[in-house]
Amino acid sequence: MSLRRKKRLRRFFGHSALHVFFIVLCAVTLIPILYALSVSLNAENSLLSSDFRFIPKHFTLENYKEVFTKQAVMLWFKNSAILAVSTVMISLGAAIPAAYVFSRKQFAGRRAILEILLLLYSFPSVLSMFAIYKLISPMGLVNTRIGLILIYTGTMAVFGLWNMKGYFDTIPIEVEEAAAIDGASNFQLVTKIVLPLAKPSIIVTAIMILIYVWNEYLFAITFMTGAENYTLAAGLYSLQATEMSGSWPVFAAASLVVSLPILIIFFAVQRHMTSGLTAGGVKG
Amino acid sequence: MKRWLAILLIVCLVTTLFVGCSQPEEISDGTVTITIWHDKEEEVAAVLQTELERLEPDIVVKLERKDGLTEALKLVGNDPKAAPDMYFFAHDKLGVYAEMGILAPISDFIDATALEAYLPMTIEAATYKGEIYQLPLYFETLLYMYNRRYMKDDKVPKTTEELYEYMRKTTVGGHYGFVEQHSTAYYSAGWIHAFGGYIINEEGQPGLDSKETIAALEYHKKFVEYMPSEGEYATVNTLFREAKAHSTIGGPWLVPTIRESGIDLGLAPMPVVNETGKAIAPYSGVQGLHVLKVAAGKKHDAIIKVLQQLTGDEVGIAIAKASGCAPAKLSCYDDPDVAKDLMVMSMYETAQNAVPMPNIPEMDVMWTVTENLLVDINMSGKDVTESAKAAQKKALDLIASMK
Amino acid sequence: MKKRRKETLWAYLTSAPSLILILLIVVFPILYTGYISFTNMNVYHWFDFSFIGTENYKRALFVFDSGFLGALLATILWTIVNMVLQLVIAFVLASLLNIQNFKFRRVYKTLLMFPWAMPGYVSILLWKTGMFNSQFGLLNQWMEKLGLEAQRWLATDVSAFICCTVVNLWLALPFMIMIVDGALQSVDKSCYENAILDGANWVQRTIYLTIPSIKPIIAPSVIITVFTTFKQFDVIYLLTQQVGAKTGSNLHTILTYAYENAFVTNNYGYSSAVSIIIFVMLIAFSLLTRKRLREGE
Repeated sequence: MSLRRKKRLRRFFGHSALHVFFIVLCAVTLIPILYALSVSLNAENSLLSSDFRFIPKHFTLENYKEVFTKQAVMLWFKNSAILAVSTVMISLGAAIPAAYVFSRKQFAGRRAILEILLLLYSFPSVLSMFAIYKLISPMGLVNTRIGLILIYTGTMAVFGLWNMKGYFDTIPIEVEEAAAIDGASNFQLVTKIVLPLAKPSIIVTAIMILIYVWNEYLFAITFMTGAENYTLAAGLYSLQATEMSGSWPVFAAASLVVSLPILIIFFAVQRHMTSGLTAGGVKG
Repeated sequence: MKRWLAILLIVCLVTTLFVGCSQPEEISDGTVTITIWHDKEEEVAAVLQTELERLEPDIVVKLERKDGLTEALKLVGNDPKAAPDMYFFAHDKLGVYAEMGILAPISDFIDATALEAYLPMTIEAATYKGEIYQLPLYFETLLYMYNRRYMKDDKVPKTTEELYEYMRKTTVGGHYGFVEQHSTAYYSAGWIHAFGGYIINEEGQPGLDSKETIAALEYHKKFVEYMPSEGEYATVNTLFREAKAHSTIGGPWLVPTIRESGIDLGLAPMPVVNETGKAIAPYSGVQGLHVLKVAAGKKHDAIIKVLQQLTGDEVGIAIAKASGCAPAKLSCYDDPDVAKDLMVMSMYETAQNAVPMPNIPEMDVMWTVTENLLVDINMSGKDVTESAKAAQKKALDLIASMK
Repeated sequence: MKKRRKETLWAYLTSAPSLILILLIVVFPILYTGYISFTNMNVYHWFDFSFIGTENYKRALFVFDSGFLGALLATILWTIVNMVLQLVIAFVLASLLNIQNFKFRRVYKTLLMFPWAMPGYVSILLWKTGMFNSQFGLLNQWMEKLGLEAQRWLATDVSAFICCTVVNLWLALPFMIMIVDGALQSVDKSCYENAILDGANWVQRTIYLTIPSIKPIIAPSVIITVFTTFKQFDVIYLLTQQVGAKTGSNLHTILTYAYENAFVTNNYGYSSAVSIIIFVMLIAFSLLTRKRLREGE
């Protein structure tokens, strides 16, 4: 057996073991999700039962039909999508330049600001709702999407800045210097060199913000009135089966429906999360 | 160049933030819009909507669903731009809002004599410091429910000792004679009341360590031993729905799902505690309409019309038919359909000795304290008297720190 | 000098949108809470509150009793356990997912992200009722099938701590895996080739090459996660302490403790004082540990 074949064989077995490992891991991780899936496909209105099975005895798609026909899911989806896209765009628009200067420029107050920003996270924000209301109410932003976008972008701003600054730090400054010598303007430098290199970090940050907005319900139910203005997460919250009312299977079905778009987006953009650096020919 | 990019971004940001801030203006062709917040199920909301649509075109009532209603009202309660004109909710928060100063008494809008036609219990619930803040529509109390497959109608325990005997005999092999949410304040209150105790009285004085309360907790404990240790609603209700529990104490909201699961449901009066001769007396929750101060002045006449529309018998009867709730107005029970409805009538019976949930602000802290006390006694097996004393102290501390 | 000043001005101008947003949504609430903590804003003076000096702080100190001390210790233990497990597991999984030519990694990654794609309260509810419920939970159904005795998973402090940790890891790992994974991908592969040529094995490469290169990238996310773990409320409250569904365990973190002993009173002035004290404590705590870390370096 040649050395090459031996190596290939070893890799084959190694990878097979790895596949087994990940399949088991995913299966274990997904148990609660599969539980929800099974509840949502079950014809009996119950979250609990003494003989639970992953494949329900009385199979039905009725709950999904109800989610889409009786509830304003498409409307909520639209609201969520508008909020998510605007928040991601504005957050990135604000965070990229800020992260860039904090990474590249030396100026008075830089270090102090960076450290203070992190420390802000230690504030227990249980009571922040009232203050935020006091802020957006005079602006007339209660019960408007702009109000929510403002809150969401502000909440994610520290994370966006810090996260992208971290990645900018890893791009060697020599790359930019070389380009500058080649006669690139500042603007070209950023758009042609830095941003492509930072693409993975931008996508990672965008995903984080997207998921935050998608799942946020506290601000959404407090500041939005009327079911037609809800986001998906807020709508889901209102569908929540409580002791008094609601149906568990419909709620379970809705939970899964809400999380599906995120997973699809995540799957789709993963390709772009690979660093431009590793693919490019930059050698330290 | 980079600078231009930055400036452009700032401009974009600022414009996106402030474009579209303008609020929709009110239509000013003589119609008045009344916004009512609620978080009720669709059936009830639909009845209210149909009833109030009769006021059109002069008054347009917008029933808006609002989840997290109680918290939202604390924020926007006195903000004319964001607050609703009225809200539809249980009576137990009205003390908080009245103290905050966001509620207008309904006697400003309707004649007090109109309220004489209501069940006294519901008016008591709506009254805080001598003022009536709610127009009651219907109420809920807990009911004693049993599975007729196991319990014959004439064998239903009439006293708690009979119930205990039944539990001892039948609680085997995954079956339970009786289950309830034993360690929550709402459910245990019925037992405490039957002993003459209370969680908190009208003066805001907690009664967790009173002789009566301790006796009730001590007595109740022996029943808990024959119930599953986890007593939250999902467990309790599923046990009953799966015919594993022969009887339970639960709210009217359970009935539809119980019937759906094919249980032959029976309803009976609450068992009488042998020692005191009093029946288990649960809390009742009265649902009704509250008027916010911000709307009271400028929409005075429209609010009068809305309230008057809802003092009629029709709305109470319609809600009772749609969702099995017990109307607050006495004359609704003259309706033959209502009088035939077993569930409505059972609640009406229970209401004779039910205690309205306290509506004072102090009650807010009592839920947690009482539940911690019950957990200590029923789940952690701690000494009743000692735990009750500690809980009473905690309650007093917390009430003191409310001010 | 002039150029320097111009540069600073320019830097602030560029980061202004971001900083203004942070000032509005993050800093303002802190300042406002600070302001409220000196007033008597409570149910009885909701809109007409007035300045009462440090009264609230004097009373708030009573919250910090022996029970609070226990909660603080539990919180520190909780933070350490969760962070260590999170970092180790995330690093191992991300490293495995980054093995060259490993197929289907995108599928695995996407599936592992699932817990993150749902609002937290939904997941916690699923765990509480679906998994841990002592009558009907899956865990006990499995225990019975294995012929073991059913357990009350959330009833004692220790087992509640473990269950909460499992749920917290389940919720938080997707984020951490993604951060570590992103960081690993930005590590310059050519360095590895050199290291392999120099004969370094996997452990050496990890310690001397991988960890130092990803540290600056993941550091901010890790610090943020430390804070959010420290302040964790939902997992512990919803699993064990929720009113109406308490399980019998007495596990408290500082926030659930402060909730039951201050926030439920609806006294905003008083609760604000408690919040501010916790905030100051946390800052002092993080400054201390950071200093020690720096000296250790």
